[in-house]
Amino acid sequence: MKRERPESFNTVPMKERMIIPRQDMPEQDALLRSTNFLEVNLGLTHEQAVFEAQRCIECKSPTCMDGCPVSIKIPDFIQLICKEDFVGAAKKIKEDNSLPAICGRVCPQETQCEEVCVMGKRFEPVAIGRLERFVADYSMQHGNGSQETFDKPASSGQKVAIVGSGPAGLAVASDLIKEGHEVTVFEALHEFGGVLVYGIPEFRLPKSILRKEVASLEDMGVKFVKNFIVGRTMTIQELMADEGYDAVFLGLGAGLPRFMNIPGENLNGVYSANEFLTRSNLMRGYEFPEWDTPLYRAKHAIIVGGGNTAMDAVRTAKRLGADEASIVYRRSEEEMPARNEEIHHAKEEGVKFMNLVNPIEFISDDQGSVVAAKCLRMELGEPDESGRRRPVPMEGSEFVMDVDMVVIAVGNGSNPLISQTTPEIETNKWGNIVADEDGRTSMDGVFAGGDIVSGGATVILAMGAGRKSAVAINEYLKAKVGS
Amino acid sequence: MSLKDQISSMDMDDIVEMCINQEQQAIDLYTLARDQAKDESSRQKFQELVDMETVHKVSLKNFEIENYIELPPADLKVTNYLMEPVLKDNMTTQEIIILAAKREDKTARMYQDLADHFHFDKKLNTFFQMMADEELRHKHDLETEYENEFLQEG
Ligand SMILES: Cc1cc2nc3c(=O)[nH]c(=O)nc-3n(C[C@H](O)[C@H](O)[C@H](O)COP(=O)(O)OP(=O)(O)OC[C@H]3O[C@@H](n4cnc5c(N)ncnc54)[C@H](O)[C@@H]3O)c2cc1C
Ligand code: SF4
Repeated sequence: MKRERPESFNTVPMKERMIIPRQDMPEQDALLRSTNFLEVNLGLTHEQAVFEAQRCIECKSPTCMDGCPVSIKIPDFIQLICKEDFVGAAKKIKEDNSLPAICGRVCPQETQCEEVCVMGKRFEPVAIGRLERFVADYSMQHGNGSQETFDKPASSGQKVAIVGSGPAGLAVASDLIKEGHEVTVFEALHEFGGVLVYGIPEFRLPKSILRKEVASLEDMGVKFVKNFIVGRTMTIQELMADEGYDAVFLGLGAGLPRFMNIPGENLNGVYSANEFLTRSNLMRGYEFPEWDTPLYRAKHAIIVGGGNTAMDAVRTAKRLGADEASIVYRRSEEEMPARNEEIHHAKEEGVKFMNLVNPIEFISDDQGSVVAAKCLRMELGEPDESGRRRPVPMEGSEFVMDVDMVVIAVGNGSNPLISQTTPEIETNKWGNIVADEDGRTSMDGVFAGGDIVSGGATVILAMGAGRKSAVAINEYLKAKVGS
Repeated sequence: MSLKDQISSMDMDDIVEMCINQEQQAIDLYTLARDQAKDESSRQKFQELVDMETVHKVSLKNFEIENYIELPPADLKVTNYLMEPVLKDNMTTQEIIILAAKREDKTARMYQDLADHFHFDKKLNTFFQMMADEELRHKHDLETEYENEFLQEG
């Protein structure tokens, strides 16, 4: 779609823009950071951010926006950085993305906006993610808090329940409170933020950012209720019929850990990534010895998997004091779904990568604790539909290695609680809720979005789904008043 | 009498009938499991398995040895080292796929063994090879689905 080019504030001549190097993000020293939980990336400086923004060549047809799942007006916010209007730049992003400080940190920009940036064809792409993070942090410190100020609309008199406080739920809350509805977020855990707090570790996404986002939503009037499990504390029907909620949004995520179904997965010392990361993140295992959470110092921790979850778990194990922490992955590094940055950081921190290896059994001592893993070597066979070559076991390649901690990070599924207690809501054979493009489910007034619909995906996709649902919920509520 | 000896004394129609019965047993098992499943998602998966076995049963009724094309699917071995789940009313889709893939694997091996045993009899050898390939194809499809859904390691 043709769009008007934003006003240019870039004073650097076109040719010179190409010779400005992409600005590296300052980061904590690898040796030091592998012993603490402080954030690894330190953020661009003011000067670096302006230099980086000046690299943008202001394309007539900017492809970067097509690469962004929520079509942030990237060229526009970059120009505002050139003008050094950082708060204005953050506002521009927030027109399409309500959580830029988070997305600037965790979005896989290398496969989204930056992958298609025109500069990347001959040089390195503009560091869009780093710029997003810079302006979001700047505006948190110098602007009007993390969320925009808005004129409180007249109350619609209608109530919306949001189940789950992950990025999908928070996005819906932010959009619907601006429409004058009474919005309450119900969360099963004792902290708000979903995977952003219980999954992604402090060293990648500080919890203080989430707390600010939640606090600013509270300031806007959103109510937050913790330790409330919808389906157990109260059902959806009860929320609607007894508590008077006119609409419900389900942003439940995909929080049910999956196991491999091999012998020994129930031994002591074998965790799901979900449990391991939650213990470290929410029970403050990372603040040992001040907080005495049952996570021990392993001699050799292996983490099975190759995604972001596996990288987060292995880097956490290292920081918790494991002498050796290894990734065990059945494919090769090329096929790893984790972000390149995470793989790179993990390597710098001393994580060992055992690729093309698959555990087939965990072996215990006489106390029932894991002491070894029996593994097979794999080789790559034919490519699958997605082009990734399939790993196939090599006959006779079995070997045993000593391990005293195992974390299974092969993926997550959806929790069956809601589908079991609310059979009116259609689910597919994987247990995901079936919803249309705008999040409408098979139950009147109930909407859903994020990982519970798509299966494990990304923060920005969950947030985008939440925003689409917010529009549909608003229309639904208006129609309800009219009828 | 061993299965191989039994087969030696059967005519082709009886052998096909025996294999159709084998498919019917699988259909009955999956139908029972579908009806007992507590969860809608498990019911859906069992129904898919019933459909898969029914297609095979029908194709067996109409089979022509001359139409066999030797194109054995790859054995991905994704579920070979996994524990065998027990059939029960609250199985997850993950367990159902493992269970079915392991069943297909066992049947494929049985037919392969028969094909190898009857290497001297062109008709029998081709028939059992075709059966082995078909079972392996089912295993391949189930394991592909398993890999796509459960082993994306995201
Ligand atoms: C370890 C890890 C690292 C990741 N890293 C990245 C990354 O770097 N970049 C990226 O883009 N994506 C990443 N992801 C994926 C991303 O975090 C998810 O796609 C995203 O959080 C999904 O958002 P959501 O709102 O759908 O659900 P979630 O974030 O899962 O939130 C769902 C919330 O609902 C609550 N809930 C569930 N059931 C109930 C109930 N019955 N009652 C009340 N509350 C309930 C849960 O407790 C949870 O808080 C990562 C995921 C993990 C696990
Ligand atoms: S594609 Fe890259 S260079 Fe072009 S406008 Fe977008 S960020 Fe700037």
